[in-house]
Amino acid sequence: MTGVVNDRFDLAGINAVYLAALRADPILTRIALAMVLSLLLTVPALLLEDRQFQGENVWLKPIKFQIALAVYFGTLAVFATWLPQAVMRSLRMRRFLIAAGLATIAEMLWIGGAAMFGTASHYNPQPIFYVIYALMGACAVLLTSVSLVLGTAFWRDRRSVLPDPLRLSLALGLIVTFVLTLVVAGTLSSLPGHHIGIPVTGATVPFLGWSREVGDLRVAHFLATHALHVIPVIGIAAMALRDTRHANRAVWVGAAGFAALTLFAFVQALSGRPFL
Amino acid sequence: MSNEMLFFVANLVALLGWIALVVAPLAPRLFDGLAGWLLPGGLSLTYAVLMLVHFADAPGGFGTLAEVQALFTDANVALAGWIHFLAFDLFIGAWIVRDARRQGIAHWMVLPMLPFAFLLGPAGLLAYMGLRLIRSGRIAPNRGAVT
Repeated sequence: MTGVVNDRFDLAGINAVYLAALRADPILTRIALAMVLSLLLTVPALLLEDRQFQGENVWLKPIKFQIALAVYFGTLAVFATWLPQAVMRSLRMRRFLIAAGLATIAEMLWIGGAAMFGTASHYNPQPIFYVIYALMGACAVLLTSVSLVLGTAFWRDRRSVLPDPLRLSLALGLIVTFVLTLVVAGTLSSLPGHHIGIPVTGATVPFLGWSREVGDLRVAHFLATHALHVIPVIGIAAMALRDTRHANRAVWVGAAGFAALTLFAFVQALSGRPFL
Repeated sequence: MSNEMLFFVANLVALLGWIALVVAPLAPRLFDGLAGWLLPGGLSLTYAVLMLVHFADAPGGFGTLAEVQALFTDANVALAGWIHFLAFDLFIGAWIVRDARRQGIAHWMVLPMLPFAFLLGPAGLLAYMGLRLIRSGRIAPNRGAVT
């Protein structure tokens, strides 16, 4: 594996990646940084807290979202280093990313605020919450659509600095992330809860909290959202094939396979069976 | 950490900050950074976490004096409120020391203000404003000196 990917990472580890990301896209990098810094509030809160919500410390949910959003935007910021500056620095892109950043902050304020008041941030039955919930849905779609926009930019970038199979895998990974997350999270939000079935013993996967007895749609949400990590890894592996056309075909097959796995987990949960 | 322990540690942190201000001329950048940013920042973070965890379940509110009194009957909120005092008083104390240095006011003239700012917050700020008024005939910072 030669090329830009390795050169970037060989420079000086995480700090070099951070600086490169900050240069390539200051907005995405700063959203990720804000999510990491906000853990300074919620992690100590978790340690001091006595209140529980649905059997979990109330701060566990905001922390999961903070980590997930930090990983999501951090990944996008690193990916942005391989897109042309003209794309990332355009006024339209900057406005869009700022809007996505504001949506992310609104989302975290809502989830953190709900934790503070010990109430449900999702599936809250009170009417006022219904309105906020719809608004938060719009914010969630906006912040997810960043992956579609970057994916499309990779798709169009025919003069990319990256080897073609890697570029293709980034494009597919990001676009698959958007489409599948929209389908899965959209379904999740339209149902009364993330479980399909009623848990009896309450057996769950550690930290992630997925049910081990009944269908849990959060599994498919997790897989859908991590397509942007898994499919580029498939792309890196596919570069072992010398022939670019073969490698590209392998990326397509891998992306289709991962999408199929996600849809399998989705259907499995909808039919009430646990993933693990 | 118990509330009593947290109270003790917060007081200790604030006290360290005030000692740093007293000896600030020895190493202005270090002690300004400590008393003006790091320690008030840490106290503010502690305040914010306490409010996140305890505010929702506390009685009272901010609307009337009776509500505020009710709010402070909650030990957790009272602790947060105390740390709020410590953080803001220290920040103001550090501002007084920095501002005096910029204005060319000798440090020994500021020293008597610091115990007031430490123990009686606004009284110390008022005393420093008085000192400035007497020296220069004006209270507000000079144009361009607002930092």
